[in-house]
Amino acid sequence: MSISRQLQQLKRMDWLLTVAVVLLAIGSVAFIYSASYRGPGQPMPDYYRMQIGWFVVGAVLYVAAAVVDYRWICQWATVWYVVAVLLLLLVLFTGMKVYGARRWLGWHGFGIQPSEVAKLAVLVALSYYLFHRTLEMRRQWATIGGALAILAVPLVLIFAQPDLGSAVILALVTVGLLFVAGVRVKHLVVLVVAGVLAMPVMWLRMREYQKARLTVFLDPDRDPLGAGWNLNQSLIAVGSGGFGGKGYLQGTQNLLGYLPRTVAPNDFLFSVIAEEKGFVGSVCVVGLFAVILFRGLRIAAEARDRLGMLLATGIVGLLFFHVFVNIGMTIGLLPVKGLPLPLLSYGGSFVLATMTALGLLQNVWIHRRNY
Amino acid sequence: MIISAASRDNSPRLAIVRVGIALGLLFLMVNLFHVQIMDRDRYGDREQAQSLRRIRLPAARGEIVDRNGVVLANNRPSYDIAISLDQLGRVSKRQDVARIAETNILAMSRAIGLPVTVTDENIRNHYYRRRPLPLPLWRDLPAATVAAFEERAGNWPGTDLIVTPVRQYPYASLAAHLLGYCGKAEQTEDEEVENFYYYQSDSTGKQGVERAFDDDLRGAPGGHTIRVNPSGMKVGEVGDKPAERGNRIVLTIDVRIQQIVENALAHTVLPAGKKLCGAVVVIDPRNGEILALASAPTFDPNVSVVPLLNATGSPLLNHATGARYAPGSTFKPVTLLAGLESGKVSASDTAVCGGGLQIGNRRFGCWNTHGHGRMDAFTAMMQSCDVWFYQEGMRAGVEAITRMAGELGLGQSASVDFAHDLAGGVPTPEWKREHFNEKWWESDTAQLAIGQSYLLATPLQMANVAATLGNGGTRWRPFAVKQIESPDGKTLQITQPVVLSRLSVRSQNLAVVRQAMLGAVQSAQGTGHHAAVRGLTVAGKTGTAEFNKKDGINRAWFIGFAPFEQPVVAVAVLIEDGVSGGHVAAPVAGQIFAGIFKSSLETTGGGPIYVD
Repeated sequence: MSISRQLQQLKRMDWLLTVAVVLLAIGSVAFIYSASYRGPGQPMPDYYRMQIGWFVVGAVLYVAAAVVDYRWICQWATVWYVVAVLLLLLVLFTGMKVYGARRWLGWHGFGIQPSEVAKLAVLVALSYYLFHRTLEMRRQWATIGGALAILAVPLVLIFAQPDLGSAVILALVTVGLLFVAGVRVKHLVVLVVAGVLAMPVMWLRMREYQKARLTVFLDPDRDPLGAGWNLNQSLIAVGSGGFGGKGYLQGTQNLLGYLPRTVAPNDFLFSVIAEEKGFVGSVCVVGLFAVILFRGLRIAAEARDRLGMLLATGIVGLLFFHVFVNIGMTIGLLPVKGLPLPLLSYGGSFVLATMTALGLLQNVWIHRRNY
Repeated sequence: MIISAASRDNSPRLAIVRVGIALGLLFLMVNLFHVQIMDRDRYGDREQAQSLRRIRLPAARGEIVDRNGVVLANNRPSYDIAISLDQLGRVSKRQDVARIAETNILAMSRAIGLPVTVTDENIRNHYYRRRPLPLPLWRDLPAATVAAFEERAGNWPGTDLIVTPVRQYPYASLAAHLLGYCGKAEQTEDEEVENFYYYQSDSTGKQGVERAFDDDLRGAPGGHTIRVNPSGMKVGEVGDKPAERGNRIVLTIDVRIQQIVENALAHTVLPAGKKLCGAVVVIDPRNGEILALASAPTFDPNVSVVPLLNATGSPLLNHATGARYAPGSTFKPVTLLAGLESGKVSASDTAVCGGGLQIGNRRFGCWNTHGHGRMDAFTAMMQSCDVWFYQEGMRAGVEAITRMAGELGLGQSASVDFAHDLAGGVPTPEWKREHFNEKWWESDTAQLAIGQSYLLATPLQMANVAATLGNGGTRWRPFAVKQIESPDGKTLQITQPVVLSRLSVRSQNLAVVRQAMLGAVQSAQGTGHHAAVRGLTVAGKTGTAEFNKKDGINRAWFIGFAPFEQPVVAVAVLIEDGVSGGHVAAPVAGQIFAGIFKSSLETTGGGPIYVD
């Protein structure tokens, strides 16, 4: 196929999905600007410009991931998987230490987060693996064992960084994939129960700051100046936004630095939006994500084969858990973890990974059954 | 080919995933609704509480002036040198702020020659708790020091000269008990409020007019709202409300009369070793205006009264309204009026005083142990014969006397406007039974007739008795605040004189009493003769109430009014340890009358000096 013919196929993509992505990207740049704003005439970090750059690169990946047939991409699943594991190993030994965790591989001032790449690679690998199991095989423990084996290596490496949030999301997405792949519910229940029972063991392996972050959401006032600070300030920001918000660039929680400036543009960007645009802004954000997620599930249902269905469902699951955990975190429903909000939060690796994932989603749609 | 395996068989599970995601998003929306709509105010308050600071700007208190506009209380600027720690914070790391501040303070201290007054701990406390507020280093500096500081202020970053209003009483202790004094308003205990507001306390009135009219004088404090960042640095201003000056209070007193009164009181002639303690009240009998009110010992409200607060025999006590004394013979006009009104006593009733009277099985003495001889109402009043009043009092009966005492305002608070004045007490048979579980004897009535026997009154009450008798029977409510004006001079409120009651007595009976009181001063044999002033007709009555017979402590009293025909002043003088009313209190009253009527006596036709 010539490149021009492949690009021709783009016309078949889900335009509503693309519109939602573009709107969120515009919102991302606008509110990253707001999150770094320090007042008129004050110098400010140019995260928003960087983010524009990431979205430009992301758009290329979006198109690329959309047009190259996903079946071809998935044939190389083993390669993606091995590369991801190697990156994870590399980051563990040579990564930059940021806030006590090695999550970054950096060179020449740029850095990538291998865990973002790994999430996508594991998704592709699992989809490809489950796609090759027959119905009978999928109803046996062996399939679950195989899936867990694929999951295990990257999961342990991500957990060791430590990047607890990504590890948990990866595990949840795997369970979701097994579910839609048709694994016996009985087996899944056993798996989930086993996972829950394993938690105390994980707890013992966790560092003190991780424990504090996990428990503080139960009672944010327990340590309002320490672990509870971000949560408290985020809640105050979201709550004080009220119905209509305080206005763009008017969010005092963010402007004065109560919402820490280190996290406002990335993990807590939703708090900035909710403070400045209020409940109306929150509805818009959740609404746009709802468009993406439900279009994604429609793509899964209309996929030409189980591979496409699994891939689309996995991507939707990945996005959903990120949205749910991140927004839940900003209003104190879930433990505070360093999980960004897809398409909105500042961050190169995550923007690129998300745009690639969304491109794959379009890919499944473009190559759907009935053309 | 396996690839063609349809995904349709999985759609029930995809549907479940769809429902799960829908529920998840709904759950987020419900919670966002809760936080942003239902709990909006709670989080809004918390947002303000942590980022807004309100600095109170104290209002300047209103002036207090006398009836002629002479200023008795106002404000003067106090120049304080203060340091703003948050400005130091801009140029240095937080840990070093206290050290830099200390270095600067030390350098300043050397340059202007004042000792360092703040400790390291003060600075740190201030830095952590009220950073945007300037920390005062030296208060109320003399002009020379201020000039020395101004010259070199540029050398010390973050320091500033701050001007605050301080209450000032230009006449120092003059009318101190009436004016009262000011102190720091109590700081709020509430931590939350304390953090939200930077409280710069106003001064509030603690006594007298300053306290009773605090609402008017206080004005409205202004506010200065600023935003602070998480480290407490000021990042912007939100709003400003200027402080409003308090209202101006115009008193009924006349500074000149007050000076005459205080001068006369200060010159009370006492035997060596006795400490002056007493009170004088001067009232206008035509409307109840208090023209002067003095209490001794006195104090200077410009100076902190804190050391005086718990002192025994505190100079802060207003003896004119806050202390009760047996009125002694100054009560005799009341007894006489009661007797005449009862119809059982006549002015021409005579009794022979042999220096005492046997009542029951006990002998009651007259102050003149040699006896006054034959007495009638006029001579008995003139010479204050106890025996005549024992007899006439018993004839009139306790009921008539206590009723008349009540009509004249004894036993009840005069409800003056500037203080809670005491009610005193008029004993009755019921009262005695209740408190002592004893019968009321005839001898109790005799004692009551001469103003002893549990009878208690304040000098203010006795001044009002004199005023009521003087003006022909109208009892006015005594008051000290004539009007209230806004800071720019508009009249807000004028006190209307209030008639509390009118005596239900026949005018001829009142005339007898007034005539008898005239004799007590004007006659050369009158006990109150020392209150007489040449060219003026003064009526009055002395009193010498036994307080402690063993130590020979007597309450010396004089009450009176002048001029007799058309009284314009009524006076009560009380000296706590005063030997005798005639020799100690009456001369004080005499000086007061002479002072007040001086100009009118010198220039024919003029009224007393205070008349508007």
